[in-house]
Amino acid sequence: MRRLAALGLATAFAAAAAAQDARLEPPPAQPSARALAEQVEATFRGEASFLDATMSVTSPRLPAPRRVRFQSWDDRGGKRSFIRILEPAKDRGTAFLKLHPNLWSWVPRVERTIRVPPSMMLQSWMGSDFTNDDLVRESSVLDDYDHRWLGVEPSHQGARAFVIEYRPREGAPVVWGRIVAWIDPVKLAPLRQEYYDEAGVKLRVMTLGGFRAVGDRQYPHHWSMLPLDKPGHETSIEVNAIRFDEKFDAEIFTHRNLTRRE
Amino acid sequence: MILRLAWRNIGRNKRRTALTLAAVVFAVVLVVHMIALTTGVHERMIEDNVRMHAGHLQLTGAGYLEDRTLERFVRWTPELAAAVDATPGVAAAAPRVNGFALLSNGSASQGVALLGVDPVREGGVSTWPERVVRGAFLGTGEREILLGERLAEALRVDLGDQVLAYTVAYTLENAYELFTVRGLIHAPEPRLERSLALITLRDAQALFAYEGRVSEVALLARDSSRLDETSRSLAAAVSAQSREPLDVNPWPVVMPELAQLLVIDNAQNYSMLGILVVVVAFGILNTILMSVLERQRELGVMLALGLAPREIFRLVYAESLLLCGLGLALGLGLALALPAAVFMEGHPIPIRGDVREMSEMFGFTPVISWQLTAWNPALATLLMTAIALLAALYPAAKAASARPVDALRSL
Repeated sequence: MRRLAALGLATAFAAAAAAQDARLEPPPAQPSARALAEQVEATFRGEASFLDATMSVTSPRLPAPRRVRFQSWDDRGGKRSFIRILEPAKDRGTAFLKLHPNLWSWVPRVERTIRVPPSMMLQSWMGSDFTNDDLVRESSVLDDYDHRWLGVEPSHQGARAFVIEYRPREGAPVVWGRIVAWIDPVKLAPLRQEYYDEAGVKLRVMTLGGFRAVGDRQYPHHWSMLPLDKPGHETSIEVNAIRFDEKFDAEIFTHRNLTRRE
Repeated sequence: MILRLAWRNIGRNKRRTALTLAAVVFAVVLVVHMIALTTGVHERMIEDNVRMHAGHLQLTGAGYLEDRTLERFVRWTPELAAAVDATPGVAAAAPRVNGFALLSNGSASQGVALLGVDPVREGGVSTWPERVVRGAFLGTGEREILLGERLAEALRVDLGDQVLAYTVAYTLENAYELFTVRGLIHAPEPRLERSLALITLRDAQALFAYEGRVSEVALLARDSSRLDETSRSLAAAVSAQSREPLDVNPWPVVMPELAQLLVIDNAQNYSMLGILVVVVAFGILNTILMSVLERQRELGVMLALGLAPREIFRLVYAESLLLCGLGLALGLGLALALPAAVFMEGHPIPIRGDVREMSEMFGFTPVISWQLTAWNPALATLLMTAIALLAALYPAAKAASARPVDALRSL
């Protein structure tokens, strides 16, 4: 495993070196990395968004992928979000409420609310390769990271892509050592994100595709998370519906809503 | 003839001989007891650690030690259990499920290592059942849980209260269960006590959707000095019963920190012993050299009378060997009689006060124990023989190389 990780590291370095000389052509008009990050964040999350999605978890443990359908209400400005599980039937009604800085989970079967402590943030969410932290990201891509322009890749998945790097600022509540993102220059949306730990080992890769117009933006309707340290595991998310700039009822982000019975 | 001469020679200066003998005897007693004490303390440490949780040997799915996930498991079938129990050298076996869960009560929650144990078998291997400070150990009841004292405090629960365990099962489904607090346990480390909970194996298998599987089987060996052998027979016995590849790891692999600690401690003790041995060697060298120098005239006469230098060499050597042999015999006798006289063997010395509290905190029995193995007297014998051989080399060579004329004239 360690050797594999080391190999991954070596490849990453080699790729970075190659990127320095051959693969990347000089940017025509180099946008600021910070501005890019801002635009991507605006495209991807927006201020207030509603999402209906189906997650499929593939694992060597499972004969068939486990599918989880959920709805999420994400209020970035208010630092609060709410998620409710619709499928599978066994988990229906399970809900998550984030009111900064706390995360609560409602378990209908035993009718209990659980406060998820910070130490659990890196644990798997609903058995997937996404973590609780991914779900209710405490950290801000804009405020907790420094952004650096790495270059342009002429042919990433057949198209040109800007490559920028996110490095956490000193003392930021961030779990990654760095993130490298490939960004579509036209759609201003992420195509691929690679997550590295503090030792520089690449841990997981998220790829985004299936772009469709939502309002005036191009939004990726298919996300796939590949954990590199767990062979055979993969989690993908298919977006069934996404709406931006919603006006949310304050009632959504309450404990009453969390424990609501359908 | 040489032996008789040598015997008489060492008898001639009784005081010097007695002092040298005392040095040898003292060194032998010290060597034997230092090693016995080290061995005793180490064995106690190993035994305490082994009984705390890990066991002498652990049977796990292949690669479990590097990747402690639910994916690496042992199918704990009745056939496998029978094969393990029937393995010669295995005294007891305890299957366990090692999981991770969030325990919660109201707004208090804590991530813990959730350990599923067989209530009947566990006590055969580890001291968990003895570490219940309030309430009782797990039994036949369903959905009962033992919490570390500090964990119960953090969750604000007491005996009879309920806590919710929340985790991701083997099937990657969310799993929840309400457990009733049956007992509070005292764990050796405060950190461990805040993050450890025990449930029954059956409940753990239900919670984690881990039907028939376990994470590890901890084993206690009948004879801890023959772990390799037991390990091999166990591996052979279980391989026929399991579809998945399994690992059998002895405690030094399971607890490498402890194994390293003991190696370092041994290195320290043996270098101290080494220094001691060198000091004794110089003492003996001094005695023999003095006796040779004192008898220059006498040795010269012997050479003049036709004794071959080789025989002079042998004479001096015989004196050294006799002295060390005598010291060794007396020393071993004393070293072996002493513990019997003061009841050291099997009667560990209890430690009191702060050190006692500290050692209990780390889970060690607060005693200093003494353990004699065949290796101790053997090592002492080996060392003393080596000293006798080396220390006599220079004086003997010097005596043998003396020219009769010079030797006679020098006085």
